Amino acid sequence: MLDFRKTLSALLVSSALSVGALSCEAIAAHAQNAAPAATPTPEATSTPAPTSAPVATQAAQPVASPSATGTNPAVTPAANGMASAQSDAAVMERGAYIATAADCVACHTKLGGQPFAGGLKIATPMGDVVSTNITPDADHGIGKYTEQEFEQAVRHGVRRDGAYLYPVMPYVSYAGMTDQDVHALYVWFMHGVKPIATAPKPTELTFPANVRSAMAAWNFVTTKEQPESGDSATYDPLRRGKYLANALEHCGTCHTPRNFMLSEKQDRYLAGGPLSGWYAPNITSSKTAGIGNWSEDDLVAYLQTGHAKARAQAAGPMGEAVEHSTSRLTDKDLHALAAYILQVPAMEDDLEHKPRESFGHAVDLPDLRDKVPTRIDDLSEMDGAHLYDANCAACHSRNGAGTRDQYAPSLFNNTTVGSARPDNLIMTILHGVNRQTAAGHAGMPAFDGHSDVQRLSDSEIAKLVTYIMTTFGSGDPHVTADQVSHFRKNF
Amino acid sequence: MSSDQTLSADVVIVGSGVAGSSIANELARAGISVIVLEAGPRVDRQHFVENFRNLENKPSYQGPFPAVPWARHPPNQQTPNEYLHTSGPNAEAYQQVYLRMMGGTTWHWAGCAWRYLPSDFELKTRYGQGRDWALKYEDLEPFYYQAEVMMGVCGPDPAKEDLGSPRKQPYPMDALPISYAAQQFRSLIQEKTPWRVVHEPQARNTRPYDSRPTCEGHNNCMPICPIGAMYNGSYSVYHAEAAGAKFIPNAVVYKIERDSANKRVTAVQYYDPDKNSHRVTGKYFVIAAHCIETAKLLLVSADDKSPNGVANSSGHVGRNMMDHTGVQVTFISGDKALWPGRGPLETNVIDNFRDGDWRSERGAYLVHMVDDNQVDLATQLAISKGYVGRDLEEQIRYLAAHTVRLFSHNEALPDPENRLTLSKTNKDILGIPHPDVYYKLPEYTVKSCEHTRGVFRQLIGLMHGTDEQWTPGYFPQDHPSGSTIMGTDPTDSVVDGFCRTHDHDNLFIASSSVFSTVGTGNITLTVAALALRVADTLKKELIHA
Repeated sequence: MLDFRKTLSALLVSSALSVGALSCEAIAAHAQNAAPAATPTPEATSTPAPTSAPVATQAAQPVASPSATGTNPAVTPAANGMASAQSDAAVMERGAYIATAADCVACHTKLGGQPFAGGLKIATPMGDVVSTNITPDADHGIGKYTEQEFEQAVRHGVRRDGAYLYPVMPYVSYAGMTDQDVHALYVWFMHGVKPIATAPKPTELTFPANVRSAMAAWNFVTTKEQPESGDSATYDPLRRGKYLANALEHCGTCHTPRNFMLSEKQDRYLAGGPLSGWYAPNITSSKTAGIGNWSEDDLVAYLQTGHAKARAQAAGPMGEAVEHSTSRLTDKDLHALAAYILQVPAMEDDLEHKPRESFGHAVDLPDLRDKVPTRIDDLSEMDGAHLYDANCAACHSRNGAGTRDQYAPSLFNNTTVGSARPDNLIMTILHGVNRQTAAGHAGMPAFDGHSDVQRLSDSEIAKLVTYIMTTFGSGDPHVTADQVSHFRKNF
Repeated sequence: MSSDQTLSADVVIVGSGVAGSSIANELARAGISVIVLEAGPRVDRQHFVENFRNLENKPSYQGPFPAVPWARHPPNQQTPNEYLHTSGPNAEAYQQVYLRMMGGTTWHWAGCAWRYLPSDFELKTRYGQGRDWALKYEDLEPFYYQAEVMMGVCGPDPAKEDLGSPRKQPYPMDALPISYAAQQFRSLIQEKTPWRVVHEPQARNTRPYDSRPTCEGHNNCMPICPIGAMYNGSYSVYHAEAAGAKFIPNAVVYKIERDSANKRVTAVQYYDPDKNSHRVTGKYFVIAAHCIETAKLLLVSADDKSPNGVANSSGHVGRNMMDHTGVQVTFISGDKALWPGRGPLETNVIDNFRDGDWRSERGAYLVHMVDDNQVDLATQLAISKGYVGRDLEEQIRYLAAHTVRLFSHNEALPDPENRLTLSKTNKDILGIPHPDVYYKLPEYTVKSCEHTRGVFRQLIGLMHGTDEQWTPGYFPQDHPSGSTIMGTDPTDSVVDGFCRTHDHDNLFIASSSVFSTVGTGNITLTVAALALRVADTLKKELIHA
């Protein structure tokens, strides 16, 4: 039982990430997919083929025109009463939008890969869970799925052959989707997505995680979203917001902590939890531990651009969620989602008793100019202030205020620095920020062992985090080099 | 002392700058074993940033890079200095600076990534001056592009601004936004002169590229880009290491061994900082150690078989030293404020004098409007004028906003008399002689510089300039070249068109030292393109073998 829990824990944590946070590879993958002018991989820039320009990967976009609907006999729009009233084009449009809101592309596309062709490895201690090809290719994808089989997979986690999916696939949340939206999603996947005739290597986990039937027991005890009914487009704003938050965006997958069976603790809904290095914060309406002081516009700005000034910015898995999903929602939906989130009952926190964004103010670096230049081979470790001066101040400024346009955000009034938990600051320094939305690109280089800009040691990062949080944030987090090493090795 | 350990690789490269590291990267990716020997140490950016901030003399490009004793480089551009000894009528004009450390001199460059003009490779044929290269522009074009992709070069849309070097592909990145100062300068040139200002191609990110951030305009590309937005050789080092190349720092190569027939190189020997000797064998050898150090190494390796030095049957090793020796002036514009010093240092160039029939008489040149912060100069000037108190502050503000700095890259010619030799009196702690250089500016370049002065005076007049400060004599541009000159005739050149030494079949040179003439554009992109062509040759020969 203990082993089983451990395994499941790993799988769930993976799912909680909505993928990618587990490896910076994945983050890069999605950044590439989204940015038309994507950064080439080092391979692309340094491999010779003189003819090979840095080619940007195409954004995951529908390839077929909506008029293509109806060519697959498996699709029977008429079988669905509500859908039958809609034009094919409208169904396609809705399906594409649902796929975006449910952020399918995040998991089902690998680094530089074809959209929805799967192959993204989600590392777990039990082995890699590999996302599958969900393009309509008959042999390698889901081309043979009937709508009923598709519905079973999406809402119940059951594969066409009857096997159980690992809950990395958030079917617990998707269970809340309306029939009409599942139908539209199916139609779009069958006709709006380019079939790709390759299958990624299947997931091979070690025992007992490889016993897929074990998931049946878990499915029985875990709490699932109740299916919504009717036409989700006609819901009043609050209901629409709830539907977006729970059935589609699956916010709780990351932001709701888990119980002993690793199901989401519904009595701690959106109260925050750890996920593979990052910490998905409390986003309840608590004015001390949550985001109760945010306005609806603040939250909309955050979801749309990944940045709410003097509050927070998205990196890691949330950066991806913003890039691939929330930034692409309609204004109306964003407001509905924000309004719903902002009325979620307040939950308090063990560690955080003051709003994360309320900490800090501009603090000038002390006078560090007391030394002559050191010899080029002197790589001796500097103290926190010097490390900040050398690595951070160029963008975030000597006093932590960031750039005037806040492209490089201020480090005070910043939830990452004001959190009582240093996790997200450590992860951001290790992996950087790479987020593309219609509002532009947000980037910070990584400072990990692969960085071309600067490779920082565990101890240097520990000192830097301590300097930043003590100077601009919630106080000394007592971060050690060993802790940073743990983050570096495991996440 | 000698070490028992013998290292071996398919290809042994001396030098880890842009040339050596990019070859290592290409070869390692093709599965070829590579050892790179770097005389200097491993380094990192954060310590240079701190050194720069601690530096009183901010414009000192060498300042943040105090050398190690076993791999010294010139500490500054003064004459005399503690390492590079120059002599001759224009000794001051050849005080080149460069860096000996992992990643090489591109730690401090301005990122200017010019391709040469087709005519630059055919100066003799077209204008009866200097020499022709043993290759044509078209031979290098694919490698120019490969180098641009490797470094991440931004540049203007060729359809809108043709820089004279035909391109098959657009630049990997869009051009930089033009700074306010540059806009003022552009308008002036466009309205009042027959010339033009072009956007200089730059190895600098105008979008996130290669996991590095977009340029934020810190304006200290030289001496150190604080955020890694500008290319430097350390990225190629990292990429090559990730591909499996082995880099050995603090390995000062002092000897190149050949077989009994003196046709093939068999090994190189290096000292570590404690002067233990190590031997590295290989199938191919590439010397990519900067123009000055490359010639020095070939000369130091002289022995009974090659009494004048390795690869030197022609006697041309160390000769034909060239640079873009130019002129420089600063003045205070009497027109509108320019506020220079925002954005990258060098982005705007008058390119009307890069080519023309007059090249049969005088050298070509290009003019940089240098967009650097002028507060230092303004302060000195204001103090020298006797201002104090609030007036001083106002004057500094006014002068900093109105200072214009211009300099030129003037074309040199290969003259065998301009020569690098080994110092007879000065040796480093390992006993390796320092380099000495004799330099007399060729008449061709003197005429070119005279022409440039005329243009500068015209510009000063147009801008109602005052307080002219001309750099005395000539201005070294740190683009040394020619010391292992390329040619088709083994009796008057050192390498062939593929940068293979005429004397030794398996010895290549990847450096500006192979340049037959020096053109006008900054040399780094051409160095990188030639290096990538060396990598291409090596791959073909090793994989064929």
